[in-house]
Amino acid sequence: MNLYDIIFYLFAIITIVSATFVVFTKNIVYAAYNLLLTLFGIAGLYVLLGADFIGIVQLIIYVGGILILILFGVMLTNKITDVPIKSGVLQVIPASIGVGMLAGILILIVTNISWRNMELTVPESTIGSLGMLLMNEYILIFELLGMLLLIALIGAANIARK
Amino acid sequence: MKQYISNIYSALATVFIGMKITFKHLFVPAVTIQYPDVRVTLPGRVRNRLYVNMDDCIGCDQCARACPVDCISIETVKSVPGEDLGKTSNGKKKALWVTKFDIDIAKCCYCQLCVFPCPTECIYMTDVYEFSEFERENLVYSYITLTKDEVLEKKANFEKFEAEKAAQKAAPKPPAPEKPAPPQA
Amino acid sequence: MIFDYISSFLGAIPAAVIAGLVPMVFIIPFALFAVYWERKVSAHMQDRLGPMRVGYHGFLQTIADILKLIQKEDIVASAADKPLFNIAPVLTFTGSYAAFAAIPFSSAYIGANIDLGVLYIIGVSGLVVAGLLMAGWASNNKYSLLGAMRSAAQIVSYEIPTVIVILTLFSMVGTLNLYELSELQSSNMFNWMIFGGTVTGWKKIVLIPLMFAAFLIIYLTTLAEVNRTPFDIPEAESELVSGYHTEYSGMKFAMFFLAEYANMFAVSAIVTSLFLGGYHSPFGYLGNTIGITWLVPIEQFFWFAFKGIALVTVQMWLRWTLPRLRVDQLMVVCWKYLIPLSFLIFLIVSLLMVL
Ligand code: SF4
Ligand code: SF4
Repeated sequence: MNLYDIIFYLFAIITIVSATFVVFTKNIVYAAYNLLLTLFGIAGLYVLLGADFIGIVQLIIYVGGILILILFGVMLTNKITDVPIKSGVLQVIPASIGVGMLAGILILIVTNISWRNMELTVPESTIGSLGMLLMNEYILIFELLGMLLLIALIGAANIARK
Repeated sequence: MKQYISNIYSALATVFIGMKITFKHLFVPAVTIQYPDVRVTLPGRVRNRLYVNMDDCIGCDQCARACPVDCISIETVKSVPGEDLGKTSNGKKKALWVTKFDIDIAKCCYCQLCVFPCPTECIYMTDVYEFSEFERENLVYSYITLTKDEVLEKKANFEKFEAEKAAQKAAPKPPAPEKPAPPQA
Repeated sequence: MIFDYISSFLGAIPAAVIAGLVPMVFIIPFALFAVYWERKVSAHMQDRLGPMRVGYHGFLQTIADILKLIQKEDIVASAADKPLFNIAPVLTFTGSYAAFAAIPFSSAYIGANIDLGVLYIIGVSGLVVAGLLMAGWASNNKYSLLGAMRSAAQIVSYEIPTVIVILTLFSMVGTLNLYELSELQSSNMFNWMIFGGTVTGWKKIVLIPLMFAAFLIIYLTTLAEVNRTPFDIPEAESELVSGYHTEYSGMKFAMFFLAEYANMFAVSAIVTSLFLGGYHSPFGYLGNTIGITWLVPIEQFFWFAFKGIALVTVQMWLRWTLPRLRVDQLMVVCWKYLIPLSFLIFLIVSLLMVL
């Protein structure tokens, strides 16, 4: 077992255990914090796979942004004192059918694809080539996404003003 | 827009002015007095711990009555004839044994009201201000000069004297005690 | 780097542990010194003396304080949420500690020489926010929660101008790697980014005021991100007792404290490596002149620590100069002034670079 294996298993265990907690805990705040760990673990896995930019963007956007917003929302909407925030179990049968189907598909995909094995190398930085791709090949999509976000921003500001 | 720019300017300018002022104060010598090492000289009439000069105290209880917080407690025993208690420094004759003179300095509010009525000026304020204690009981100062045995002795003496006097009174059986004179205006 | 050097004779795993622990050797003495320094600076600015009795001019005061904190009872409020309450200080400290991995202390020591250095630091500082929110919520205390909310709102908003200023720099130099960035600012003072970097000619003259403004902006925003006065509404003593760490005592409180001071140095270090030439000396190196090359990294470390501590001192100076901003003023400063201005600088600089 070398260093990379250890790091991989560490992040994998963090991700899986905390994801299980997210699903099974009844307390929303606990769920949110476990989500933080999950996202963190996934970011670590990305970095391990050589996708450093995605890993760090995952950290900045999900952990630093979205998760904070979720926590903010949870903490603001519920009474500060007392009243434990609980989420119950509803719609057991449809949910298990849906989840079962999704799991089946995922397992099918994972077992049927012939995965490529790669030599372990020190990952190259991807940010340069990523920038080139975004600004050349995918410029249209990039610009459209920018427009979309701008529209969402304006819309949010508009709603907030009312 | 003009407002906007002038806001930025005034924000920066005021911050820098403020920083200049605090920077200047870095070099102003500190006003701190490093107390146990350096002590301020107290003004002449400071009111701190009380002191009673028992040689001069005649046990008149006036100080205890003047005290607003009742922190002085005095007990006295009359002297029997023949005992010489000496004189105070300003020539008053002492007639009472002071058997208890306690000042609970923890209660004292340093108002100095006890000092003025004293006929012999034997209770006064000193400039001692460091007398903290770990036990509150230690702050009850006792000023009497008599020892415990002496106090008991004086009490016993006085009681004996009283008893003798009572016996004297009782023995000859005086004829019909005189009516006390009606109180005069 | 140091990891490769140690792993060459110890193996990868111990090397990783040792390389990971190195910043600790710096952070703890720094925090001890910074607390002492802060008390001294504040005292002298207010014409006082500050700690004087433990050691020469109170120099050992903070060590005594730490010993006291270690002995203190660890109190957990009965209505607090215990697991989260206990994890929060660790999470906060982890966040600020992880940032040190990407800080180039000298040309010989940088924990992880990653290409996305600055972005990584911004990313992990998200953990600090999460930790603060966790502390505030788990304490089950109005003041703590309010403080945590305020700090989260503040940090999230002030991250935007920070990132824009950083983007401005990257559009100039084309690298996100803090080590390369520092190397770019070598040789003399006028290669520092605050003086327009290695750009030459008339562009440099145009760049200098812009870069100076960018430096001020990033300094202010990082100040806000570490919750220092005038942006200290999250722990405003006079309103919120002390914000998110109201309920903490003993070593957990010490961890928050350590995280705060580590953060102060971390942001100063980022500003230093971005604008003030990183670990480079403003003049030449003594080691190069007298021909002892191993002296150079040590000198570089000295310069880096010196610049970082100087910026921390300015943070303290500001703290004892300015009153606290109100919440709305805080948001106005960020959204109406810093963000548009940093955008403007970004636009102009990018245009200049294209020209
Ligand atoms: S100074 Fe005032 S309070 Fe103290 S013993 Fe004298 S009368 Fe009482
Ligand atoms: S007033 Fe003076 S003389 Fe009288 S009891 Fe008090 S101390 Fe003694």
